[in-house]
Amino acid sequence: MTRRGRILATKWGLNPNSSSLGVDVTFLLVGATAVAMATPIVGALLRWRRPAAAPAVESAAPPAPSEPAEPR
Amino acid sequence: MIRRALAAARTWLAPWAEARRHRLEAFGAIVQLTRPRALVFVDRDRARALGLDGGATWAGPAPGVDDAPLAAPLEAHLQLTNRCAAGCAGCYTGASAAAGPGEWGLAEWRRALDALADAGVFHVALGGGESATLPWLGALVDHARARGLIPNLTTSGLAGLDRLLPIADRFGQINVSIDGLGPTYAAVRGFDGFARADAAVRALRGVTPHVGINVVVTRANFAELPALFAYARRRRLAEVELLRWKPSGRGAAVYERLRCTDAHHRALLPTVLAAARKARIRVKLDCSYTPMIAHHDPGPQLLAQLAVYGCAGGDFLIGAKPTGAITACSFAAPPPPDGDRRPRVDDLAGYWRRPDAFGRFRTWRAAAEPCASCAYLTQCRGGCRVVSAHAGDLGAPDPECPRVVDHRRDVAFGNEGRRVGRRLPVV
Repeated sequence: MTRRGRILATKWGLNPNSSSLGVDVTFLLVGATAVAMATPIVGALLRWRRPAAAPAVESAAPPAPSEPAEPR
Repeated sequence: MIRRALAAARTWLAPWAEARRHRLEAFGAIVQLTRPRALVFVDRDRARALGLDGGATWAGPAPGVDDAPLAAPLEAHLQLTNRCAAGCAGCYTGASAAAGPGEWGLAEWRRALDALADAGVFHVALGGGESATLPWLGALVDHARARGLIPNLTTSGLAGLDRLLPIADRFGQINVSIDGLGPTYAAVRGFDGFARADAAVRALRGVTPHVGINVVVTRANFAELPALFAYARRRRLAEVELLRWKPSGRGAAVYERLRCTDAHHRALLPTVLAAARKARIRVKLDCSYTPMIAHHDPGPQLLAQLAVYGCAGGDFLIGAKPTGAITACSFAAPPPPDGDRRPRVDDLAGYWRRPDAFGRFRTWRAAAEPCASCAYLTQCRGGCRVVSAHAGDLGAPDPECPRVVDHRRDVAFGNEGRRVGRRLPVV
């Protein structure tokens, strides 16, 4: 039987700010329960959309740096 | 009439049925939804259930999302020009009326977009300077769309509006920088530009619903935050994004005068959530505010689910200077020259994989106390590197994080995974 797997995170919205990464914190108003309830809806939306013709990229992540580099 | 109604329904539903883009990651994949707008991180099993095949990317055991940098950034922040005549007192890029030396033009930025699209980047945030004045901005935005990138824009609204309005609907989101209403705008920026910025907000909102405001939070406008949310509601805006003042560019010189106090930082999250609830508008906080979110102990798992991250420079995001030099974030200095020149944003694929790429922006796992024992380290990543650098050590814990402040005062701080009673205004 195929495992359904998990949705690990959902980053909502688009970030127009060119100086930092903006994250939507409105969900903190409704708490963890509401976020958990939204997850199956996100899963359904993922299944509903057909995949694009080709993935954006197929490559492995770089290794995590183990030694601190020199400050700049 | 029925035909018109059907056509309207098709137009409205079209984005819901759009193909989803995705990018394979060692942990699984990141899948992009266009409506609702979201990037969804899924594990390998869920990715397989969606029909994705990880191939060599999924060789070996699956790591966690935060065990290593992503395969590529989620978004790139492109400072297209440093030209801006506004002369804001705290401009973080130190922009001026004259363009800087060696600024790229359309051909070079198109090449950069190609490199970003090839790497699998999802979004670009265009800024400056004042990018709205660039005569080739529309052509660049069209190129981004053609390559599958969603272009977004920040503008002061003080210049270039005549060029921007005809192309505004091609952006995913446009935010206008408004740091205060009326006189407060002048208190933060050094001149009264509120009326012009407000006119830009109204004009843009007439063209596209995806308009919001960026507010740099200072001690001059903190008390006015609820009024700014109410303003955004009156203008029927999509969101309010709050940014922490960064000691960068001209902003460094006035940092001590304008930066928020520790009391402001501790009160920030309840204040903005209450204002957002009252105004019924979405609120975003920039990455540098993650320590102030963690202070209220919403739970590391919840922040992980919402992809709330502190310093994600050189991982979730990268920046690019007007000369094309790649940076970990817009405030960071470019890496040292590699041979005869610094790494550029169109070198992304090669630079990204270097073990020393982005220097200490990627070494947050080796954090010192009190970050090392903080339950939120994986999300917060030590807070804002730019503020730490301003305090003397780029790799040190963010000196304005409430936990760090308490640690230095030798006051017990309890977010080591247990609740401490600072509850949020949950509805």
